[in-house]
This record gives sequence, C-alpha cells and structure tokens, in this order.
Amino acid sequence: MTPTADIPLREPTVSAAAGDAEQLERARIDASTRVPVLMFYASAMVWLLIGTLLAGFVSFKLHSPDWFSDVSFLTWGRLRPVHMNVMIYGWASMAAMGTAIWLMARLCRTTLRHPLLIVTGIWFWNIGVLIGVIGIVMGYSTGYDWLEFPPYAALVLFVAYALIISWAVMMFRFRRGDQIYITQWYLLGAFLWFPWLYSAAQAMLFVVPVQGVMQAAVGWWYANNLLFLWFGAIGLGTAYYMIPKVIGRPVYSYHLATIGFWTYALFSSWTGMQRLVDGPFPAWMITASIAATILTIIPVATVGLNHHMTMQGYFPVMRYSPTLRFTVFGAMSYTVFSVVGILISLRSTARYLHFSQASIAYSHIGLYAFFTMIMFGSMYYIVPRLVGREWRYATLIKLHFWSSAYGVGLMSLMLLVGGLTQGADQDDTSMTFIESVASVLPYLRGRTVAALLLTISHFIFAFHFGLMLFGLGRTSTVPTFLNPIEAEGSETHL
Amino acid sequence: MKGLVPLFIGVFGTFAFSWVGLTVIPNLQIGALNPQMDEEGTDIYPAPKSGMADRGRRIYAANGCIYCHSQQIRPEYASADIDRVRDAGPSPGPKWAERRSAPRDYIFDRPVVLGQERMGPDVANMGKAAPTEEEKPAAAPAASAPATSPAAAQSPPANAGAPKPGPTGSPAAPAPSAAPPAGSPPAPPTTAANPSPAASASPNPAGLPPAYSDAWHHRHLYSPRSMSPDNRDSTMPAYKFLYEKHPISGERSADALQLDGRDAPPPGWEIVPTYEAKCLVAYLMSLDQSHPLKEVKTAGGAPPAGSPPAAPAGSPPPAPPKK
Repeated sequence: MTPTADIPLREPTVSAAAGDAEQLERARIDASTRVPVLMFYASAMVWLLIGTLLAGFVSFKLHSPDWFSDVSFLTWGRLRPVHMNVMIYGWASMAAMGTAIWLMARLCRTTLRHPLLIVTGIWFWNIGVLIGVIGIVMGYSTGYDWLEFPPYAALVLFVAYALIISWAVMMFRFRRGDQIYITQWYLLGAFLWFPWLYSAAQAMLFVVPVQGVMQAAVGWWYANNLLFLWFGAIGLGTAYYMIPKVIGRPVYSYHLATIGFWTYALFSSWTGMQRLVDGPFPAWMITASIAATILTIIPVATVGLNHHMTMQGYFPVMRYSPTLRFTVFGAMSYTVFSVVGILISLRSTARYLHFSQASIAYSHIGLYAFFTMIMFGSMYYIVPRLVGREWRYATLIKLHFWSSAYGVGLMSLMLLVGGLTQGADQDDTSMTFIESVASVLPYLRGRTVAALLLTISHFIFAFHFGLMLFGLGRTSTVPTFLNPIEAEGSETHL
Repeated sequence: MKGLVPLFIGVFGTFAFSWVGLTVIPNLQIGALNPQMDEEGTDIYPAPKSGMADRGRRIYAANGCIYCHSQQIRPEYASADIDRVRDAGPSPGPKWAERRSAPRDYIFDRPVVLGQERMGPDVANMGKAAPTEEEKPAAAPAASAPATSPAAAQSPPANAGAPKPGPTGSPAAPAPSAAPPAGSPPAPPTTAANPSPAASASPNPAGLPPAYSDAWHHRHLYSPRSMSPDNRDSTMPAYKFLYEKHPISGERSADALQLDGRDAPPPGWEIVPTYEAKCLVAYLMSLDQSHPLKEVKTAGGAPPAGSPPAAPAGSPPPAPPKK
C-alpha cells in the first residue's frame, strides 16, 4: 500500500500480466498525455470549485439581495457573469480540452507530441480566465452574454487555444489506421468550430462592431453555438467513446452515428436566435432558429437511439461503473436538453417562458446535466489511467453522483416551474410586475438548496481527485466499482 | 468514414452556412440602418445619446443590470408587454410602451443591452415614464391631498404601521408637504377609476420623489426596497457603492438623496451620487422608444400617414430617406 516513487504508469503490472502489446501501447500513449491532461483537470477542478461557490453566492443573493451588496465587486450583477464565465471557460472548457486531447491521442493511436507546448497553453488559458474574471469584477464587463471577458482577456485565451489545439489536431497527421472513429469527428469538429466561433464573435462585437441589434444576434449565435458545437460536440464525442468502451461492445450503428453527426452540425449551428423570440429582429431569423431547434430532434433521436441500442442489455453495468453511470446520465440529459430547448423556443410557449428563469434552466441542463456529467464520467475513466492508481472510495463516487444528479434535477425543476409561474404572471396584466417577481421567489430559494447540493458534490469530487493527484489512490489492478461486482461482469472493461 | 477531406469540408461547410445565414446576411439586412427623418430632414430619430448617457450604458452593462432588465418590447400579438403599466407612480402607471421595439431603435447602442430575463421590469421606455416638466409643479399640491386619493391608493405610504420621519424639511425636498399621510392607515386599494390630472402627477405621499424622476431613480438605486411596501419583494440589489457619504459642509448639496428610516445618513452627513450614478440615471432617463417608426405600428393608432400598414417584423425595414 505504500505509494512508490514511480507513480506514472501501471503498464508493467497490467500489461505484462496480460502480455498484450496493445495494452502496452495504450499505456505509452496515456503516459504521453499524462502531464497536460492532469493539468487540465486540476485547473478545471479549481475553477469548478470557485464557480460553484460563486453560484451558491449568486443564487442566494438573488432572493436575499441585501447580502454583501454594498461592495462594488461583490454586487450580484458582477458576480453572476463571473460565475458563468468561470464555469464556461474555466471549468467546462478546460475539462473538455483535457478529455478531448486524451481521447484524440488514444483514438489516433499515437503519442502526444510536444506536451510542453500544451502545458504552456494551459498556463496561458488559466491566466486569460483570471484576467477576464478580474476585469469583470473591476467593472469592465462587456455586457454580452457569455462574452463578458474584456477583449484583452479573450486575446490571451486565443493564444492559449492556438498553442493547445494545434498539436491536438496535428495528432491526426501521425494517426495510425484508416478508420476515423465517430468520436474523432466530433472532436475535430469542435476543435475547428471553436476558434472560428470565438474569433467571429470577437471580431463582430469588438474589432469591427456590428450595428445595434446585430450585436445581440451575434452574441446569442455565439452562446448557443458554443453550447452545441463546442461543449455539446465534445460531450457527445466522449459519450460515443466511453459507453462502448466500458461495456466492451461496439457502437450499435455506424450509419446512425453518421446521420446524427451531420444533422447535429447542420441544425444545432442554426439555433440561437430563438433566445430573442419576438424581439426587434426580422422574423425570419428567429423562425429559422426555432425551426432549427425543432430539427435538432433528429440528431437527438439518432444519437439517443444509438446509445440506447449499444447499451441494450448492459444497463445493469451502470450499477458498478462510475464512468458509465455519469456518462449515461449525461447522454440521457442530452435528450432532455433538446426537448426543453424546443419547448421554450416555440412561439406559443415563449409567450409564457421567455424572459423568465426557464432560460437559465435550459443553460444549466445543457452545460451541467448533459455536458458536465459526461466530463465527470470521463474523468473517472481517464484519471486512474494517468496516475496509475484507482479511485479510493466508492462511497464518495456514489455521493458525488447522487448529489450532482439530485442537485441539477432540483435546480432544473425549480427554474422551469418557477419560470412558468413567473412568465404566466408577467403575461397577466391584472397583476403588478412585482407580484410576478414575488411568485418566483420560493423557487429561487429552492434553487439555492440545489446549489448547496452541487457544492457538496463538487467538494467531494475535488477531494477525491486530490487524493488521486497526490498518489493516494488504491494500488490495484481492479477498478473501483460502485457496488461489489457479481460474478459474470468480468468481460467488461470497467 | 474514411478520409479527412470530406470531414473537413463538411465541418467547415455546415458552420459557414450558419455563420453566413445567421450573422452575415442579417447584417446586410439590418446592419446599416440610418435614423429616420421626415421629408424636411428634421424630426430625426433615433439620435445618439449624450456622453453621460452613453457612459451610463457601460455602467448599466458592467454592473449586470442587463441580467434582470430587458430593453425590448414584444409585439401585442405575442405578449402583454404593451398592455403592461409600471408599478410605481400615479395610477394608472405609465405604460411600458406604445409600440413594439424595432431594429432601428438601437442603431446607436453599443453594447446593445436587449436583456434576456425580467426579474425587473422592462426599461426600454424608462425615460418616457418620467414626470414631464409641466407635471412637476403640480406635484406639490397634489401630495397634500388626503390619502384616499387615487395616487395614494396605488402606492400607499411606506411602512404605514411604523411612521417614518418625514423629509427633514430641506429645500431640496421635492414634496415637502408629503408628510401628513404617513402613519395614517393606508387606504384600501380602491380602483383608480378616474384619476384627476393633478393626481396623476402626484408623488408618493411617503416623501418619495415623483415616480421615475431623477431623484426617484437615485433613491431607488440606493435603496430599492424603501420605495413602497409593494416593493419589498424586489430582488434588486442596492447600488450603494455608486453613492458617496459626505459630511455636510455649509449648504446641503442640491443632489443629496432624500432618505429616511434605516437608510438615512447620520445628522450632519449626506449621501450624494457619484459621477457614475449620475451617468447611469442619465442613461435611464434617456431611454425612450416612444417616437413612432414608419415600420412599426403604434398601439391604438394607425401607422403614420403615408407609410405602409404595420409591417410585420419579417419584412425589411424601408430604406432610409436619402438626402
């Protein structure tokens, strides 16, 4: 049980025993990604904790506004964008890039070259986020949703991104084998979409600013595409890798996967304007986005069906495998996310849901229930392979899962129901406006309870991750199962 | 799939399609609008905002006002926005808007702050809600009317159970005679069937400045929940950091806030707005989309003569008049 000095690889024990060249090679690839990916995860965890504490703070302040309100940098209106941007660029993007790079190396079956460049990029990225956060707190927020970082912080992020992703894409050049697995499509797409999206938004908002309401259109185009084509694509790609891998069975249908990918790229990129429904825009823009949102049901159905058929008969594995449990939760939330997206964007329902808390629910279902849960799942899979230790406590993983699942479930429910109440009251002109605010307050208090659950969940995970990072995981050749495994599950690679 | 080339083309193609479709083409359609003016080239709308108001918009964005206040009025057929009246002020309160918002309303706005949520009311026409110049003088006499006046019914005195000290009798008080109703039981909320013209401009009897005036905004920013008992559910944070506390040296500042109760500064001190607060209020007072636009139907009235009937939002706005 004494942690030995050579933490890095577990390749000798596992692969030598198995006598498996392929496993040796995998361990070598994993080792090449070890430093950058762990750095990504460690940074992401720090930002996650900061973002979570801010979330609780902001949530509490929304129904108890006099709490710490007299200090300029603690005012709600500045901490809210800090929370959002920390979660988006600090936590979600860094976790996404960590997982994506690891997956890319594995799937290209090549070692990651020049990890030091990526490490430099990670430092830059962290500094960029930090500069942006300080900018917002000091009162230099740009005022565009999800793009509140001052432009100079965005520049740092961009340099960082170039350093990081150029080598991730270059892995393609050195890949072995002809087949490009479906996960790689999503990852490659995300790698190329993000810089285009980010630079286009920055250029159209800050360099050569577009006129008037077009800024809002560009802003929401950016925000929704970031959600779908950056986070969503990496999330789906990860799920396509993790689910078959854990249950040891190929993806059910390659054709479905193809259809799912291309319809996803085509339709989800056209969403965004529905967040401006009935606003001061040509109606065709909004209608196009609503139609695209409705059409996202096609990728949802194909991807969902594909995952479901892959899992068919293997659902009990979720009892044991933390990775699978988180990933399947995320994959199922993808369906919920799209359905909620459709429901809140239809013109008939938007009358009661637009300008209400429901849109906050939508963002959280997408970014947390769908994307973040898949990232958690992938971290449960990847981290042991990088540190050569297994997760120490199954109980902590279970606690993490349940508090996250209940937390985000409660939050979505509160915000959706509260949003409906709020929106319906706003539509009723016999009620004063303040009554519509009062009607949503109980739900906002409920949301604070959800934030508390999520805080607990994230601190548990961070503690567990810290143990792994400092080599305090279990030394074992058997992964950590959530429940004592029964006899027959041995053929799976949990 | 084999081969990278089709993948690259597809990935680029789909995204280029969206980029062109949702940002480039709309930008051609509504990205270069000019202000509207009549044949003589006068009556120009919209006009660029003053320096202070423009700076105020930055403060508005940087302090997150956008997350709770929208600045866009949806059309009548899609929402109740145009039917809504504001909570504060004389009854019936000022309307949120007379017409829906149009792209042309925002051509000088940077950043544009359309908003996405309404934990607070829409402020697209905040400046329009301000009492007009001719109404202000009428305010004082109306304030001394008995509490049963329609104005009092709309917004009964704050904290009626616990009488507040009236304004300290400073000359800057906008309604020095407003103290009497404090402490008297609030009038039952009778419907304000026929508000008299005088009452329609009366300030809140509890010593508040006239609703939506400069002074009202400052006090609201400083202490949002002190405005009326109805407002106690407001979730607006106080922006006290935009105000400064000074010892009074000689004369009391003309722009010092009228505060009472818990918010009042100790004797000999006063609360004055910083330049930022003044900019923010100047910005709020500048918000006004009431000017008719040719492309939009105004509520309750035909569109301005000579223009095509109510253009749906889908049709491109008419070309701006050429000089």
